[in-house]
Amino acid sequence: MATIIDIQQEKALQVKNFEFTYAGADAPSIKKLDMPIAKNAITALIGPSGCGKTTLLRSFNRIHDLYPGNKYEGEILFNERNILTSKEDLISLRIKIGMIFQKPTAFPMSIYDNVAYGMRLQGIKNKTELNDRVEKALKDAAIWKEVKDRLKHDANGLSGGQQQRLCIARAIAVEPEVLLFDEPTSALDPISTAGIEELVVELKERVSIIIVTHNMQQAARVSDYTGFMYLGELIELGRTEEMFVTPREKLTEEYITGKFG
Amino acid sequence: MTHTQKRIIINNVIMTLSTLSAVIGMAFLFWILGVLVINGIDALNWNIFSQVGAPPGYEESGLKHALIGQLYIVGVATFAGVPLGIMAGTYLSEYGQKSKLAEIIRDISDIMMSAPSIVIGAFVYAIVVMPMGHFSAWAGSIALSIIMLPIILRTTDDMLQLVPSTLREAAFALGAPKYKVIIQVVYRGAKVGILTGVLLGVARVAGETAPLLFTSFNDNFLNTNMNEPMASLTVTMFNYATSPYEDWQKLGWAAAFILSMFILGLNIIARVFLMKKRIK
Ligand SMILES: Nc1ncnc2c1ncn2[C@@H]1O[C@H](COP(=O)(O)OP(=O)(O)O)[C@@H](O)[C@H]1O
Ligand SMILES: [Mg+2]
Repeated sequence: MATIIDIQQEKALQVKNFEFTYAGADAPSIKKLDMPIAKNAITALIGPSGCGKTTLLRSFNRIHDLYPGNKYEGEILFNERNILTSKEDLISLRIKIGMIFQKPTAFPMSIYDNVAYGMRLQGIKNKTELNDRVEKALKDAAIWKEVKDRLKHDANGLSGGQQQRLCIARAIAVEPEVLLFDEPTSALDPISTAGIEELVVELKERVSIIIVTHNMQQAARVSDYTGFMYLGELIELGRTEEMFVTPREKLTEEYITGKFG
Repeated sequence: MTHTQKRIIINNVIMTLSTLSAVIGMAFLFWILGVLVINGIDALNWNIFSQVGAPPGYEESGLKHALIGQLYIVGVATFAGVPLGIMAGTYLSEYGQKSKLAEIIRDISDIMMSAPSIVIGAFVYAIVVMPMGHFSAWAGSIALSIIMLPIILRTTDDMLQLVPSTLREAAFALGAPKYKVIIQVVYRGAKVGILTGVLLGVARVAGETAPLLFTSFNDNFLNTNMNEPMASLTVTMFNYATSPYEDWQKLGWAAAFILSMFILGLNIIARVFLMKKRIK
């Protein structure tokens, strides 16, 4: 059985008896998973490749629904409501739960239009409001200084690290409650990586963060809680500083000491 | 003779043969282009653009009727074929994806692409010209748009599929509805590719003669009524070039030259677009 510590604070999300099966797969990729996600904290998901970290993360904003035939079971509670029902309004869910991908996903448009994209979707047309919020988002994502003189330039002209911060700016511009990061630095150099990590830590004052990483040092550096997954199950969830020093599960210990992975 | 020597000889023989073939191929291309340019430029004058067709022997004779007819027929075909092709390609890439229906449409479209254009002309003759009882520019445009459709459909499908799915996911993840993801993100990402497909599709039909012989037929005078037969550069060129009159043959050369330059131009623009895209 999994060891899951009792989170002594408000929860952003609560996963209950959750199972996920990909279309056409005969076995679920996530099995009977229970997991609380703390509010205004960073929860890291670690585990060997293929253990289901991405699959779990992509369930929180139901991006799996873009591909037909995928099946959810159990519950994911968000603001006391199960988001896995067919009644769920996916558009407003995704406005509240944003996502940053492994590779930067700058849209083929200007830097400004990228950041304004989510706001315009919500019908915000007022130029001053858009300008203000684009500037604020870019500042919050620590990229304002680099791009303020070329807001009208194509976003694809930015470096990988800049593009990833632009994507973060775009995501926080719509003021989400939760941000999901799937290995956001795996395509970046060490300096950009450090920048993104710093940014993620700053963001937790405003949003609850779940970050998937295959890099245990990264989990140790940025997160408050760490969940270790293995073969579609959550083996252990604990406070990060405790879990890396005194893991309670044998599998966790073997993984963080590098015996497999 | 050692193994290496033998290999070197075989190598040289094959290289010589393939170079020779390339040169022969190029020679024909330049021969055609050369003859075309020499005769075409020789036949060009202001009358070509300002005068309509006249009986043989008249000084004031030109291709205005055919140029304008060509623009009408190809323009209307483009107007119909491009949106239809782009929408069908969008269906295949964004909605049908790997479904049975989508795969069947792709197969049919590939077959249509290799169908002889004269067959399409005969088809439109049967379903449009016969019921109407006479040739018309509409029928010509319909035939050309049918020929254009599979080209634009497949390039749109291919180009949209080249847009990374994470880009779509990122737009959905911001709360975008599907139609906005397609129009605002996917189309933008594939814009150059789709435009190239459109140019190549237009270039392809602009040189068609056979399907027009059955449909828009010909007219020696200026006509802008789509309900009636209309001159096109290709059919006019065919008629003039095969006539026994020297001045008509000259007009035929001029038509051939203008048409070739137009199609060459479209192809070059398409290639420049593609090159720019690759550099990016
Ligand atoms: N689109 C998919 N269809 C079917 N199975 C998938 C798909 N994506 C991932 N899987 C499977 O689900 C399991 C978990 O994958 P994933 O969540 O990507 O792992 P991780 O992110 O931890 O490396 C793996 O066994 C993988 O093969
Ligand atoms: Mg993953």
